[in-house]
Amino acid sequence: MTLGMMNFVNLAHCSFAMLGGYVTVTLMNGLGWPFFATLPLAFLAAAVVSVVLERVLYRRLYRATDLDQCLLTIGIVFVSVAAAAYIYGTIQQPVRLPAYLHGSFVLMGINFAVYRLFLVGMALVITLILVASLEYTRFGAQVRAAVDNQRMARGLGINVDGAFAVTFALGSGLAGLGGALSIAIVGLDPSFAFTYLIYVLIVVSTGGLGSIGGSFAAAALLGISDVAGKYYVPQLGSFLIYLVMLGMLMWRPAGLFGKR
Amino acid sequence: MAETLLALREVRAGYGDSVVLDNVTLEVPAHGSVAVLGRNGVGKSTLLLTVMGYTSLSRGAIVWRGEDISRLAPHLRPRLGLGWVAQEREIFPSLSVEENLTVAARPGRWNLKAVFELFPRLAERRQSKGNHLSGGEQQMLAMARSLMTNPSLLLLDEPLEGLAPIIIEQLTAAIRRMALEEGTAIVLVEQHADIALALTENAIVLERGTIVHRSGSRELRDNHALLDRFIGLKLEESAHAPPG
Repeated sequence: MTLGMMNFVNLAHCSFAMLGGYVTVTLMNGLGWPFFATLPLAFLAAAVVSVVLERVLYRRLYRATDLDQCLLTIGIVFVSVAAAAYIYGTIQQPVRLPAYLHGSFVLMGINFAVYRLFLVGMALVITLILVASLEYTRFGAQVRAAVDNQRMARGLGINVDGAFAVTFALGSGLAGLGGALSIAIVGLDPSFAFTYLIYVLIVVSTGGLGSIGGSFAAAALLGISDVAGKYYVPQLGSFLIYLVMLGMLMWRPAGLFGKR
Repeated sequence: MAETLLALREVRAGYGDSVVLDNVTLEVPAHGSVAVLGRNGVGKSTLLLTVMGYTSLSRGAIVWRGEDISRLAPHLRPRLGLGWVAQEREIFPSLSVEENLTVAARPGRWNLKAVFELFPRLAERRQSKGNHLSGGEQQMLAMARSLMTNPSLLLLDEPLEGLAPIIIEQLTAAIRRMALEEGTAIVLVEQHADIALALTENAIVLERGTIVHRSGSRELRDNHALLDRFIGLKLEESAHAPPG
């Protein structure tokens, strides 16, 4: 959302995700909180930190060039990686999921992991809520209006800065939530912020800037082809995702649902 | 005498360091109407942009109902009752016609039903995206969108520019209804001097950023010599005039 709608190149998105991950492991391992109780706080922590950064740093660069925005946000990534390493060390953080999310079951000869199914469900629900709130609420319309034309939006009395701050917080909060949800599968160490940045960028560009549905479709397509590739064509391994991206961008340079 | 809604006091304004308007003093009473005439590039649009807070004001003050709003953030001004219809219409392309209307609406006399009654064409196109409209429809939408904020004063920036005569007729009727029947005050920047003067009570003429003439609109309309001197070109060229 920040990248596509507000036209801000936010490379620090995965830093917010990493923050969410660390919030969850700290609350679980340090304070003994149950996994689900930590999720709202992972969302909240990422959202709050992002708003502070937005008010203090990002807003100064809304009109700056893409390069300036990249430099600022990649700097934030470096700082976040160093901070995580300083506080938690460079080791992988252990996450223990509740028992009922463990294990797997077999349906029609196919093995399903419970937690992975849970993640698929969560992703669907969040995407639906996001699309609905952006397409069918007045606030969503105000955000789209502000993205289309800031001056006119202000000229009608829309609080453009406020709408952007909320949108940004929402996007970052969801990154935090995503980070917290993903660490049980992909693990968590300070390099998280860099490792998944590339995937985020691939997904956004393949899905089309500013399209939530597009990002979802691209994420699903790339994720499935990535995993399927590793299973069925292990020789190609991690390269398949880049080939798929290349193919899709050659087919639709603006992305699956992109307008620009 | 009616309350003064908007007052500009010895305003000097422009963009960055360049001064476009200088020493502009103007009062618009509640329910009043002022035509702003002048050739291209004399600062007519800048005058409206200055009221909305989009230029740098280096001298003077903008006063709304007796309060200085010179330093007020642009997005807070419409909430006081200022409406602005931009010259380029500036419809939000990714919003539908209906969303364009409701996105910034504030409660009052003008609601969807009322603006659809004023512009039936918009009702037919309510689900279309903003960028799929003709020029005339866009202008109707821009005007209706501003009305939906229920302004006490509407700033109209060349609402008739580049439109077919039949559309001009419809829009003129709508402006007349807003101003005369509904009592919305208007400041009308327009190249079609004849129409603008017929729609308003008072008129000012701008030349190189300052007011060079002010009078009643009827008086100016009847004074062909003056009209010819200030804006003569516009009366014949209005159909072909470039935006400005």
